[in-house]
Amino acid sequence: MKTKKMKDSRTSTIIMHNVLIGVLAVIWLIPIVWLLCTSFSAYTGINTSTFFPEKWGITNYINLFHPDSVAQFPQWFLNTFIVACINCVISTMFVLMVAYATSIMRFPMRKPLMNMAVILNLFPGMLSMIAVYFVLKTFNLTNSYAGLILVYSASSGLGYLIAKGFFDTVPVALCEAARIDGCSEARIFFQMVIPMSRPIVVYVIINSFLAPWMDFVYAKMILNAGVSSKYTVAIGLYKMLDKSLINQYFTQFCAGGVLVSIPISILFMIMQKFYVEGITGGAVKG
Amino acid sequence: MDNESKGAVAAVKGFFKAVGGFFSSFGTAFAKGDIFVKLSLIWLGAGYVRRKQYAKAIIMTVFEVAVILFSVFFAADYVPKFGTLGTVKAERVFNMATMKSEFNDYDHSFMILLFSLFSFVVWFVAIIVWIKNTINVYNLQVMEENGKHINTFKEDLRSYLEEKFHITLLTLPVLGIVIFTVIPILLLIFVAFTNYDQQHTPPTELFTWVGFTNFITLFGGGGLTATFGYSFIRVLGWTLVWAFFSTLTTYIGGILLSLLLNNKKTRMPKIWRLMFVMTIAVPQFVSLLLVRNFFADSGIVNTICANIGLTGFLRNIGMISTNYIPFLSAPGWAHVMIIIINIWVGVPYQMLIATGVLMNIPEDQLESAKMDGAKPFQIFVKITMPYMLFITGPALVTDFVKNINNFNVIYLLTQDVYTTTNQALANSQAKEVDLLVTWLFRLTQDYYNYKMASVIGIVVFVICSVFTLVAFNFMIGGDKEGTYQ
Repeated sequence: MKTKKMKDSRTSTIIMHNVLIGVLAVIWLIPIVWLLCTSFSAYTGINTSTFFPEKWGITNYINLFHPDSVAQFPQWFLNTFIVACINCVISTMFVLMVAYATSIMRFPMRKPLMNMAVILNLFPGMLSMIAVYFVLKTFNLTNSYAGLILVYSASSGLGYLIAKGFFDTVPVALCEAARIDGCSEARIFFQMVIPMSRPIVVYVIINSFLAPWMDFVYAKMILNAGVSSKYTVAIGLYKMLDKSLINQYFTQFCAGGVLVSIPISILFMIMQKFYVEGITGGAVKG
Repeated sequence: MDNESKGAVAAVKGFFKAVGGFFSSFGTAFAKGDIFVKLSLIWLGAGYVRRKQYAKAIIMTVFEVAVILFSVFFAADYVPKFGTLGTVKAERVFNMATMKSEFNDYDHSFMILLFSLFSFVVWFVAIIVWIKNTINVYNLQVMEENGKHINTFKEDLRSYLEEKFHITLLTLPVLGIVIFTVIPILLLIFVAFTNYDQQHTPPTELFTWVGFTNFITLFGGGGLTATFGYSFIRVLGWTLVWAFFSTLTTYIGGILLSLLLNNKKTRMPKIWRLMFVMTIAVPQFVSLLLVRNFFADSGIVNTICANIGLTGFLRNIGMISTNYIPFLSAPGWAHVMIIIINIWVGVPYQMLIATGVLMNIPEDQLESAKMDGAKPFQIFVKITMPYMLFITGPALVTDFVKNINNFNVIYLLTQDVYTTTNQALANSQAKEVDLLVTWLFRLTQDYYNYKMASVIGIVVFVICSVFTLVAFNFMIGGDKEGTYQ
């Protein structure tokens, strides 16, 4: 009798517990659901009266691939993709190089350099970007791929800490042994540490590939006075919501948002595992 | 990762020690070096020629010539004008020879500032190389005197793949950081002391040094019409309030959510987690712009609120005077909404981090606490929270600094939606909901007021670094590294 009552209360707390999580999840998903629904609306403007569209359709997705002077989604997608790919190569190289040098190697300037990086990271990134914008303007590089790529990748070495945390877990004895066997540092780097650190390499690659997709502010700065065909996805979609355009393009904005979110979400899901490891890395090992 | 930041203070000391060592070995080299070492003070390659390192000698000579050519043909055009930032205004003059109206040979203040700064950096590097070169040459002399083997050029090159591999690795990244972070920061620090704004925009106008005028303007001086001091206090206040609440709410929320999800009672925790993570996988410019329209004055939430009578109720009790709820368009409402929306954005992130940390809580501690009859709440306050704080404390500091600079949330939610009615704020192009960084951004992008933007940028840096240093020192003071090992 007594045991049965206890069991009952346990089942009910389990149900309560899961209902609570369910309610929270619904709250968190409302905007995402709204994004999806609105993207399938048959109308163009903002849907202000009902949560679900009154008439469904896929015209927004079709319109996205028939660019007009304002919305050139395929072109924006291509722009962002090109910038992302090049940035991915350069940033990944820079980050891994700096992380390896600061983690595995020992040299006199190591500590001072790392502390300089800490101090530089305290400056708001935007502050230096404003000056970079002047410089790029002086050299006529604004509104161009080159400008964007430079902005994203040139200083990427500063974001080496997560990768360094991972390299720190490579056993010192292993590198020592390789050195004693007459292995050059370059070979240790390319043939030992990099293959051993596949998770972090994947993380860095995805992370630097995602940066141009997720970024808004730097792109806004560099593409300030540009024409629609030069935009990245972020800026293009933002411009669609301009006061004069919003009633014509809001549902298309949603469709574009859905399309760009799908690949990003997939990559993000792959990456988030390593993100957690990186943030908590080092401290949790003991 | 955060142990690195803790050492910032110690680092400054170490840095000066290293610099001291550098100069003392230069002194030794200068005093004890033979004639070729002394000759290489003038001709950088001299010492290498003496030790038969001809390739190095050529490289150093080329470097020296390059620096000299740079100084004569490039730096000389700009550096002498650094003191005034140019005196000749751009004007159209009629050229008799070509019969056309052409620009005169005018000064471009910004170019002068930029290229002078660039020259200073080049010269600074050149001096370092010059000193280092003397030390190297002296070392070669010592090696020769002791009968040691002197590397051939090939061996020198090889060393860059071996014991000097770090130089190969770091050169390009550091160069990128210097050109795209260090020089720009220095440049803006200089701009803070000039009158570079819309009325003084090169090439048509000149700008010049004005000393601390901009700082005085920001901190309340500057006459009757200037409202920057007033705006600065307001914006700074909201920035700090925002940073505090956004950090605190997402941190606590993240821990609670992760405790909830990782509880044994949860069915299918992975699916639930996926749902929350989905919301942050959508890029912020999509989700935030969407939410902004969700809560717009004539948006869907307002329609629903009007339908269920909430709008009417709020109007009756005098909380709003409009026939819609100004979620993002009135002070007070907007402030609260921004923090709430930020909870929506930030909690899943913190949940991810908290999950990673909580999984590593020593099981035995929890078990023994339970055996001793501790209640879940007690366990949370006495074991879980201290452990979380110990691991994520440094990240909490970083989060606070990141929130001070959290541009996306504020800008995407309020730009074009929020219009200030406060005339004093409007005069200095600020809004009640602005952070220092969004204000700075608007000043540069829409109003070309670079001088004030630079001053604000410097202030942001000072706030962030003071906060970080104090927080880390405080944490080192209470360092309990062994507690959880």
